[in-house]
Amino acid sequence: MTAEKKELKILIIGMAGGLAQLTSRLILKNNPHAKILGIDSRDLSQCPKLKGIEYMRMKYSRGNFENIFRSFEFDIVFHLARVSHSSNKNDDVSKRLDLNLMGTNRILSLCLSFKVKKLIILSTYHVYGSLPDNFVFIPENSPLQASIHYPELRDVVEMDQLCTGWMWKNQKEMSTVVLRPCNIIGTQIQNAITKYLTGRLTLNPVDFNPMFQFIHEFDMASILERAIEELPTGVYNVAPNDFISIKEALEQVQGQSIPFPVSLGKPINKLLKFFGMDVPDYFIDYLKYSCLIDNQAIKKHLGEKFYRYNVRETLDLISMR
Amino acid sequence: MTENTEFNYQLPQETYERLAAFLGERYKDYQDPWGFDPKTFLKAVKILYPLYKGYFKVRVFGIEDLEMKPYIVVGNHSGQLPIDAMLISMAFILETKNPIVLRAMIERFMAQLPFIGKVSAELGSILGDRKNCQYLLEHGESILVFPEGVRGVSKNTKDYYKLQKFSTGFCRMAIKNKIEILPVAVVGAEEMYPFVYQAKKLAKFLKLPSFPITPLFPLAGPLGLVPLPSPIDIYIGKPYQLPTELSYDASENLIREHVYKIETKIKALLNQGLKNRRPFFDDIRKPVWDFFGKLNRK
Repeated sequence: MTAEKKELKILIIGMAGGLAQLTSRLILKNNPHAKILGIDSRDLSQCPKLKGIEYMRMKYSRGNFENIFRSFEFDIVFHLARVSHSSNKNDDVSKRLDLNLMGTNRILSLCLSFKVKKLIILSTYHVYGSLPDNFVFIPENSPLQASIHYPELRDVVEMDQLCTGWMWKNQKEMSTVVLRPCNIIGTQIQNAITKYLTGRLTLNPVDFNPMFQFIHEFDMASILERAIEELPTGVYNVAPNDFISIKEALEQVQGQSIPFPVSLGKPINKLLKFFGMDVPDYFIDYLKYSCLIDNQAIKKHLGEKFYRYNVRETLDLISMR
Repeated sequence: MTENTEFNYQLPQETYERLAAFLGERYKDYQDPWGFDPKTFLKAVKILYPLYKGYFKVRVFGIEDLEMKPYIVVGNHSGQLPIDAMLISMAFILETKNPIVLRAMIERFMAQLPFIGKVSAELGSILGDRKNCQYLLEHGESILVFPEGVRGVSKNTKDYYKLQKFSTGFCRMAIKNKIEILPVAVVGAEEMYPFVYQAKKLAKFLKLPSFPITPLFPLAGPLGLVPLPSPIDIYIGKPYQLPTELSYDASENLIREHVYKIETKIKALLNQGLKNRRPFFDDIRKPVWDFFGKLNRK
């Protein structure tokens, strides 16, 4: 590490998330002189108190958010604060639109105004959509079709498009990396797929058996950390080389599962919503059709073996939770 | 030519073991992104063997000369349901010196059907897309294509054995990967449903690729879909090598020229097959007549 790198000032937005906390620890491990400010609108009191990390609870759509850019002069900004779709509740939609779109737009503008050197944004592979005519493996330049079929993913797709459009427009001023990871799973992750796999009683599709890619939270955190130095401006799919069918994945996790036809998933989901056990609507189609992403672009920069755990090891690790 | 001469419709144990060894070796380091499962495939071959040998009494011509290398197998599509694809795949796995697993390219409609999409993927079929095709060819797989698409399989009785317009994508894939095209003709599959009227407007209304009306379907429900035991002949032509100077991005006219030649080869094979085909119902009629003949003699 050079002297300049030792003084890195890093902002992590979405610090209450498990992935953000893992990433911050990895950054500090590899760069003990880094100063990290972690912010989140959620409670941060449970976050570990570590030397080099400061926490602030705030909404990044509010006025005081600008002040922290002014005060800290960040070199690197991680935008890991995309609001996920683990619920279908209607009141979430406006919140998601506000944070994912308006909030992201604000982050982008502030990064540019305050001359941040690098912005690393966490998007998702869900932007491609789970469609019966998906080919393998989907590269980064494929159309983002998710919002055509799932209006609830509109904000996710628009956020991704906002970031990528902005990235190319401002590439001379600052470096931006947009990461579209496959399913991130781990003991500290609370997304829909982790909940599905580790649920006490999981529904096991009998009429479809799509292929899934999984990346362990540790590997994802490591890629985020390496993105600071090793990934140039661009969009990168993040997925390991191997994949697994959902049936095998459920067997690997060894949870209790009951067979059910996914074709009846949407009516069943309405019933589940009635009992407050709702599943995101788009998630049902992900249990029908494969959406396998291509990892050639990221491999060019991080090497052939850019992850530690293969898909079976990743599943083994979450089955221990 | 290979023909069944004995009344034994169980897959011979020796063949089963040979196939198991071949599939184990061929796919030991390969993970299929569509979910092709060699074990399920082997089970299916065992289950479908009585249909192949006993029900449809498949005869295969011209398969002896095939080398063990990837091909793009191009056939005429017929018979309302894609049973012809299953029979061609069985022929390539059972009748060749070295088994060839054909990865059939299917319509999006098929891929999104519950259960059917899942089973067909486990048996090796893939969605008809050039990127999928490219991936498989790069991994040394052989592809089965019906360039007529749904037009071929959903014909009225009056159009039986008339080839519909071929798409050209398979030719471009063969050029790109420098792979030979193998023309194949299936004779007998049209008679699985001897009288068909295609209700195109009803199909459009129901958002189905086709809606065949036969004397038994839809009157008899799903039972009406059971195909008649029409004897099937599969004719395999000589491999067609496209000129090396032809580019993947060549004009449609240039590609169409070669597609036309392949169509002509398939037509010739069809005509040959139609001249030599076994009379429809003969296999059913003969044992019944023999039985009554014996009774009369007594």
